Amino acid sequence: MSTIPEYYKIVEEVFEKYKDKEFLFVGRHTQRWDSIEKIKGRALFTADFTRLYSNLVYVHSVRTKYAHARIKSIDVSEASKYPGVLRVITAKDIPGINDVGYVIPDQPLIADRKVRYIGDIVALVVAENPLVAREAGELISVEYEPLPVITNPLDVVDLMTLKEKPHTLVHDERGSDILVHYKIRRGDIEKAMREADVKVEGVYKTPFQEHAYMEPEASIAIPEPDGSVTVIASTQCPFDVRKAVAKVLGLTLNKVRIVVPAVGGGFGGKEDVANEVAAKAALAAVLTGRPALAVHTREESIIGHSKRHPMIAWYRHAAKKDGTLVAVEANVVMDGGAYASLGPFVPWRATVHATGPYKVQSARVDVVRVYTNNVYAGAFRGFGNPQVIFAVERQMDLLAEELGMDPVELRLKNILRVGDETVHGQKLTEEHGVGLEEAVMKAVEASNWFELRRRYSEITGPVRKGIGIALFYHGNSIGVEGADYSSVTLIINRDGSVSIRTGLTEFGQGSTWGLALIAAEILGVPPSYFKIENPDTSATPDAGPTVASRATVMGGAATVVAAYKLRKRLNEVASHILGCDPDDVVIRAPDVYCSSDPSRRTRWADVVEQSFWLGVPLQEFGYYRAPRALWDEETGQGAPYITYTFGAIVADVDVDIETGLVKVNKIFTAYDIGKVINRMGAELNAEGGAIQALGYALMEEIIHDKEGRVSNPNLSTYYVPTIKDVPEIIPLWVEAKYRKGPLGAKGFGEPSFNAVAAAIANAVAHAIRANVTELPITPERVYMLLKNKQKT
Amino acid sequence: MFRFDVYVPKDLRDALEAFKIYGEELVPIAGGTDLLVLYRQGMVRFKALLDLWSLRSELSYVKLEGGLVKIGALTTIDELSSSELLKDKRFAGLRDACKTFASPFIRSVATVGGNVGAAHPLSDIAITLLTYDASVKVRSLEGERVIPLKSFFLDKRKTVKRPDELITEVFFSEPPNNASSAFIKLDRKVGHGMGYVAVGVYAELDGDVIKDVRIAFDSMGRAFPERALMTENALRGMELSERNVDKVVREVLPKEMGRISDYRASAEYRLYLSQVLLKRALLGVGRRVRGE
Amino acid sequence: MSEVGASRASWNTYRDVEVSFKVNGKEVRVRVKPYERLLDVLRNKLGLLSVKEGCGRGECGSCVVIMNGKLIPTCLTLAVRAEGSEILTLEGIAPEGKLHAIQKALLDTYSMQCGFCFPGVIMASKYLLDKNPDPTEDEIRDALDGNICRCGSYLRFIKAVKLASKYIKEGKVFFDESEVLR
Repeated sequence: MSTIPEYYKIVEEVFEKYKDKEFLFVGRHTQRWDSIEKIKGRALFTADFTRLYSNLVYVHSVRTKYAHARIKSIDVSEASKYPGVLRVITAKDIPGINDVGYVIPDQPLIADRKVRYIGDIVALVVAENPLVAREAGELISVEYEPLPVITNPLDVVDLMTLKEKPHTLVHDERGSDILVHYKIRRGDIEKAMREADVKVEGVYKTPFQEHAYMEPEASIAIPEPDGSVTVIASTQCPFDVRKAVAKVLGLTLNKVRIVVPAVGGGFGGKEDVANEVAAKAALAAVLTGRPALAVHTREESIIGHSKRHPMIAWYRHAAKKDGTLVAVEANVVMDGGAYASLGPFVPWRATVHATGPYKVQSARVDVVRVYTNNVYAGAFRGFGNPQVIFAVERQMDLLAEELGMDPVELRLKNILRVGDETVHGQKLTEEHGVGLEEAVMKAVEASNWFELRRRYSEITGPVRKGIGIALFYHGNSIGVEGADYSSVTLIINRDGSVSIRTGLTEFGQGSTWGLALIAAEILGVPPSYFKIENPDTSATPDAGPTVASRATVMGGAATVVAAYKLRKRLNEVASHILGCDPDDVVIRAPDVYCSSDPSRRTRWADVVEQSFWLGVPLQEFGYYRAPRALWDEETGQGAPYITYTFGAIVADVDVDIETGLVKVNKIFTAYDIGKVINRMGAELNAEGGAIQALGYALMEEIIHDKEGRVSNPNLSTYYVPTIKDVPEIIPLWVEAKYRKGPLGAKGFGEPSFNAVAAAIANAVAHAIRANVTELPITPERVYMLLKNKQKT
Repeated sequence: MFRFDVYVPKDLRDALEAFKIYGEELVPIAGGTDLLVLYRQGMVRFKALLDLWSLRSELSYVKLEGGLVKIGALTTIDELSSSELLKDKRFAGLRDACKTFASPFIRSVATVGGNVGAAHPLSDIAITLLTYDASVKVRSLEGERVIPLKSFFLDKRKTVKRPDELITEVFFSEPPNNASSAFIKLDRKVGHGMGYVAVGVYAELDGDVIKDVRIAFDSMGRAFPERALMTENALRGMELSERNVDKVVREVLPKEMGRISDYRASAEYRLYLSQVLLKRALLGVGRRVRGE
Repeated sequence: MSEVGASRASWNTYRDVEVSFKVNGKEVRVRVKPYERLLDVLRNKLGLLSVKEGCGRGECGSCVVIMNGKLIPTCLTLAVRAEGSEILTLEGIAPEGKLHAIQKALLDTYSMQCGFCFPGVIMASKYLLDKNPDPTEDEIRDALDGNICRCGSYLRFIKAVKLASKYIKEGKVFFDESEVLR
């Protein structure tokens, strides 16, 4: 395209106009549009809709007995005859294509030839009563030919050579269990390593993490009279669900409608699993002609949906005596479990961020993702970044120790600043907004870093104290993963109330409320006038998936475009009424007046009504497509993301060295998210992300036994933080605005999680004066580290 | 079967008769916080449940009678912890166990009898009752039996109670004034957890000398709560000092305790943690007896 | 009420049981299956959808209500146990159109994220404040220890319970929706 799209110009013009202004709504605490209905318990989540359907049927998923086996035969005759059962569905009953893979078609909805993990479905029982369906499920007999179960990714690939090892393939149809291999090749690594003054290396491990959103997966499918199907689905990506359901049913996209009600948490876990759950419900609805509910128990949720990729990584850092980082080498193996899910993308983001937010002269990074028979891994807040940050930030501390430098000093020597090139050769400018240094200084000051770092080192006795820091950067939106666009429709109704329609979903983070605040600011209308419609593939525009910390930055940009155009038209109408220049019009709904002569005023309602009579349309479709990302497959050089969110986390911990129990006292989180749009949402996100990351740091891990079964599939054996585990969390803000973003905003959904676990790990390492290389840092791991320290 | 019937008895006699008629197809349910989870996991199946909740008026009490503390089987954990009778330091360990028992809404309905009957290593109340050398009363149509709690468990989730018997009460001798107790469990988080290990300690002091001591762990090697008898014997008569406790815990406990490794923790760490927590519990009881 | 002594044959028919109780101040009579949970009956038969199923095992707190003055997990409570009881759910803690102090406080502290855990948190908070009108931070943490909030609004819950306690002490138990801080 030779011309610059209009939407880029609009977003930048709006940024310039507002950059020094004082905001009315943006950046302030405001009450969400849905908080009253939620506080009253009236908000409807997917499973709450069952009340509307009197002839509902229930779908029960019969799952495999083995984590890896060939299916020789399946006999559903007894189950089909069971009183109360309407249908038993197997792979051969699927009218369309038997696949629900999110990125690549490697994941059957119902297993046909083989099963690859303990959650694989072999049949669906559809019955009048959920317990009847379960009872009938027990009557299904499957003849399996068990195959060797692979639960260790290092049985598939060697950590140091990254060569595939001979093993019974999980995906024999692909010929290899290495899904992807990403690289960075920059500078001259051999030379750098030779000339370095100091080198540190280590192997780092992180576990499977479970999203544990409070609302289990659910979908209700309703067969429509014209042969189409409507699915109420608990999902982050309604348009991807539509595609999956249409594929499974063999329908065109316009014959499938996905509607998203209130969603009880997502964190990336509901990016892809809704494909499966909605398809199950839709299949049952279409084959029985009745509304069908597919809902997971908590145990099914844990064994049956994607997890955070575990990582095993070998890293080597090299530096000069003065602390300048000269080289980073890394081999990273990510365990993808049985299916691809978001697996083509997670290791890519990990690769991009694999050296941390630092200037690195030379780098050699290789990241592979392999299939195993564990529960499959997919998207989870951070998406590969938290894993590599843990390794990188531990390495930085080891380097600091080796050099005799304070960890903050070492980092300040190397962090990215405006004018610096990233490890991919992307030059960071004022346009991107680079607030990392300011974030570091804020966190350091608020936490009293230097004094406590020294003072805590001197503590002896049964309770030790530690303080640790971790930095990160996080590319906003999806980079080269796909076409990065978003859209929003703004409609000013005839009574002056405003409706927002977008395909972006809300599952706790409230980023769509940020879009309302942006529109409110540009239009001059209070947020309380706004209603955000439920995402609906038949009524709201495709805004791309709600993932990758993109809702505010991409949806916000689309909102800016729509609001800008509407405002221009409103200004024209108002100037027609008031007799002043359109640029002179001030809208402070319910009032509208001229800035040069405030006595010339009218009411918002009148401007809207006049627009109707004058034939000026008050709905607008805003579209925004991100500037193209660039990435060379062989060298990892280019410009992978449109901009980066930066952050610095300081954690202050106590360690009981007798029991090994770690207690976090304080977490200081300093984030540069550009212009803070939804302050309430940002603060909650900072707190919530820190708490979830505290779980990742200290207590959360999904364990598989050697048969590939999940040992801890419930909330008493999979530990998530409760209110008693939560420390003081002090959020600090830096606003290094992204000039191409809506009012300067950057993304935050994932950044709030990314580096907290690494900061806690660094604090624990400081407290116990031992090297922490594995998450979660359970009391037993601390005990082992201390014991091994005593030996040496 | 995932569906079942429920029988609501009029009184205890009614309940016992139902057992006699329907045998093992009828399973008693008290709070349900353990049984219904087992049922959900497919670990227990039944045709019908005998709803004991209607027997609460008969079987929920905490009283002192004839020198014995008697606790009705259907007393909830909440009722136990808020009982006036158990407010003083002699029963501190029981209150510790109640305080860390699951979560507030489980404590409202989980019962003492249920916790004892569950026969699970991490039955917190059972562990504490062992330190009081409690006994269990069970009743059937044939009559009443009294079984010492220390002989009550056979294996994980197996007791000497017959299927046609119901636990009606646990009781123990009223402790003297120079006694106290403690219960500690530790998990990988500050908030409530099952615990890697759990220990209960009861001690009677004569000045600083341990006149009597009873120690119970979630497991001593078998899959149910048991007393650490060798360690008890070594401590009896000793002065309750940090040095003495440290020595006995380090040298004697490992001789009688076996631990298993599982996905949650290794045998080595469990044994080590048992020693640490036992030491803390003993010293803590000492402070409580002295009124600190 | 099922009878002892009924013939064994009746065991496989899962006949309905009639249960009468009071919910949010109203008398109700419902026919339930013996194996139905109170959770299912409150949601599906009485339309009280604020009671949520998060785990079905008493491990998350999403399903709690106040029955006979006690905070209980409805996912582990047989429906037949509701006979003759008084039950309070989120729908009944404030008169129509009004908000209870704890609801107002949770909004005034801007604690709302996905909202799924809120009914359980509100009931547990109300249960605490009813028994202990001036709780310390530790007491609040103890009382809410069983309610899992994965979105992580825990720190706000502590602030909100303290604020609600203040409102109640000032004599303000119920609020108009319009009084919520926008």
